[in-house]
Amino acid sequence: MADKDLILSIKDLCVDFSTKEGVVHALKNVSIDIPRGKTVGLVGESGSGKSVTSLATMGLIPSPPGIVSSGQILFDGKDLLKNSEAEMRKIRGNHISMIFQEPMTSLNPVFTVGFQIAEVLQLHQGMSPKEAREKTLDLLNQVGIPTPHQKIDAYPHELSGGQKQRIMIAMAIGCEPDLLICDEPTTALDVTIQKQVLDLMLDLQSQYNMSMLFITHDLGVIADIADEVVVMYRGDIVEKNQTEEIFVRPQHPYTKGLLACRPPLGKHPKRLVTVSDFMDEKGAEKTPPKVEFVDPVRPISETENPVLLDVKGLSKHFPIRGGIFGTVKDYAKAVDEVSFQVRKGRTFGLVGESGCGKTTLGRAILRLIEPTAGEVFWKGKDIVKASADEMRKLRRDMQIIFQDPYASLNPRMTIGAAITEPMDIHNIGANKKERLEKAAELLIKCGLPGANVLNRYPHEFSGGQRQRICIARALAVDPEFIICDESVSALDVSIQAQILNLLSDLQDELGLTYIFISHDLAVVKYISDEVLVMNQGKIVEMADAKTIYENPKEEYTKRLLSAIPKGVPKTLIAKGITSVDLQT
Amino acid sequence: MKKLASKVKGNSLWSDALRRLLDDNLAVVSFVTIVAYVVVAGFVSLGWMATSWQDQIGASQLPPSLSNGFEYIMGLDIFGRSVVLKTVQGAYTALYVGLVSSMISVPIGVIMGASAGYFGGWIDDLITWIYTTLSNIPEILLLVAFATAFGKGIETMAVALGMTTWVGLARLIRAEFIKHKNREYVAAAHALGGGHVRRIFRHILPNVLHIIIIGFSLRFVVAIKSEVVLTFLGLGMEIGEGSSWGLMISDASGELVQGIWWGLASATMAMFPIVLAFSLFSDALRDAFDPKLRT
Repeated sequence: MADKDLILSIKDLCVDFSTKEGVVHALKNVSIDIPRGKTVGLVGESGSGKSVTSLATMGLIPSPPGIVSSGQILFDGKDLLKNSEAEMRKIRGNHISMIFQEPMTSLNPVFTVGFQIAEVLQLHQGMSPKEAREKTLDLLNQVGIPTPHQKIDAYPHELSGGQKQRIMIAMAIGCEPDLLICDEPTTALDVTIQKQVLDLMLDLQSQYNMSMLFITHDLGVIADIADEVVVMYRGDIVEKNQTEEIFVRPQHPYTKGLLACRPPLGKHPKRLVTVSDFMDEKGAEKTPPKVEFVDPVRPISETENPVLLDVKGLSKHFPIRGGIFGTVKDYAKAVDEVSFQVRKGRTFGLVGESGCGKTTLGRAILRLIEPTAGEVFWKGKDIVKASADEMRKLRRDMQIIFQDPYASLNPRMTIGAAITEPMDIHNIGANKKERLEKAAELLIKCGLPGANVLNRYPHEFSGGQRQRICIARALAVDPEFIICDESVSALDVSIQAQILNLLSDLQDELGLTYIFISHDLAVVKYISDEVLVMNQGKIVEMADAKTIYENPKEEYTKRLLSAIPKGVPKTLIAKGITSVDLQT
Repeated sequence: MKKLASKVKGNSLWSDALRRLLDDNLAVVSFVTIVAYVVVAGFVSLGWMATSWQDQIGASQLPPSLSNGFEYIMGLDIFGRSVVLKTVQGAYTALYVGLVSSMISVPIGVIMGASAGYFGGWIDDLITWIYTTLSNIPEILLLVAFATAFGKGIETMAVALGMTTWVGLARLIRAEFIKHKNREYVAAAHALGGGHVRRIFRHILPNVLHIIIIGFSLRFVVAIKSEVVLTFLGLGMEIGEGSSWGLMISDASGELVQGIWWGLASATMAMFPIVLAFSLFSDALRDAFDPKLRT
């Protein structure tokens, strides 16, 4: 392809970061070409260098410690690396725009969204305030904000996450950029919102004839949106090709692993394949094990799977206060009259969009927050009425693993101290030495090197490793029942598969019972026996996982299901190829 | 299993912090400086040092000289007393005021702030009301009130400083507790069966320790400086009660114009290292307690 057909051409780019431990080569001879009017997907796990690539293009590498040591970034044939800061400022936002992952923190909370969009237009296009407002209204309309005349004067906190991301998109396309860089723009959003945002971006791209660089850790997301895919691994480009080719004939073992690790929707593999099944630590290819599909419906036996947890009419209402004296005006019904049963040794899935009350429900069951009404029977005993002392003893049996493995470990506690603490509380183990030995065993069981890491602090571990530590901590009290609250949602897809496998293995080995809370229906469907769909604090539908997926009764469930990324490009779906076919 | 057990060894936050402090040369020097002042103050209070500071040993306002002996290095004051011995006595006064006032204000500030932030609700309302009320009364007036009620003197001043300077720390600690109590690691401790005491002291407190440490050292320095200012204003140490750097600086206000500089120089030269050492040491302590900076 001739160079003039390329809007962006990154050539042999090397970026280094100097740290205390030495120089880290964040990018090693990275070359990416983005043709005009096309979308290139950039896929890789956290730390693979995909965000550094986008920051380098924008000229936003923090320096020090970062330095672009060699290479070229040709934008419209001109090397961006030779530009001065003043020249770059004219290009940013005007010719190259960027959308970030977190719509919550990317908008300034003290200005109205209309003001923030108009500011960009006035700055780059020299519009008068009146023209800019007109154009802003037009943009809000284009990105599908309902009632733009009202929303233009709204503050960011008055909008939902999906709407905020639409505002970010409006701001990014306002100056009709030639290139739009999207850095994980949908990762923080629910699947339903993700689908809407992806559709919107596809529309806008063809309308404005923009080029896009779409960064994500999830190959499934870009199947429909990208023309070409570039796969990055540890600062290197390991594969680039047309999207369809990547999906049908992946060459590099890492790409194969990425494609295989997402739970497939149609069939039920016994274990999920992970990237490590395809390549070893050094990157050499391995032959993956044959995927074994099983019947997802596990039979219930009354003797082996007695009802462990029986939730009856559980509600949690938060008072809404108003006026000078803070009197209660109304109640927000986060959880409203929810009833269900969980059987021993099985996994109960709880699924819904953010704000549907699933996390509140999980915490109310464990009485981490006090329920407003209802009963929770644990082995026939109502724990809502249990005294503080009884409750503390009960906590041995019931555990929780949280979403954010960064926030759920105390940063000032070593791993050893964190895992032995629950044993300390419940008098497990005779002395400190015995407890530490047990902690080491638990860590090995959870796939960490054990004794060697006991003295280290949480920040020294990756997200996936920290989640393993959290699991080890929950297991320290030998619980029977664990609530996994979005426990894999913050992790890369390849790590997700590993953690899901670990949870399944632990269930088989220790006979654990799970409540698995997630907004991701594909994951919930894979891991759960029964699924409860929640919306606005109420139960929408409850059935076994297979029925929910194959035969949803409610409109809401159907909508959730249709929003799951198919993980296969549309052109392939047209040929009748599904994700299961690609995996086998 | 045997091999595994031999490798198992638990380090606490405290032992790690100590190891890192010992690796930091500046921290060690600062600590030695602080210890030296504490030892001197201790010796003075036990009557082993500078006991004869009130004796007239020479002519009034004799300038510093190196030839006559240790007592004459910094010259003599208007009554012919050794300035060096007065300064040494002053160290005791300064550390006494600093220690007593921060030992009072830091625990009050931490307990008030922690309970307000952690429990919220009416406890928070009550504590916030108390410290807002207290902080609305001008500090000097409060100190005057204390001095009138309990009599002037160094003890009253130390206690009064302690009772009035906890508000800022309480506010900071309250804010930090509000921030931390909703973090998932605290919820995790709750889910694991940890009670309020464990959550407050074992989980949240280590995460706000750096604020407490800096709070302590700031209050110590503030107290030493306040003693000087208040004594200068006539609210602190009474003439004849003892020697303090504040009194020496106060005296110097009249003497400087006559070219008598050694009283002021001696007091400020004594103040400078302890204030600096405290600041540097609290910085080092904060770093030592942050595992992210672990080397």
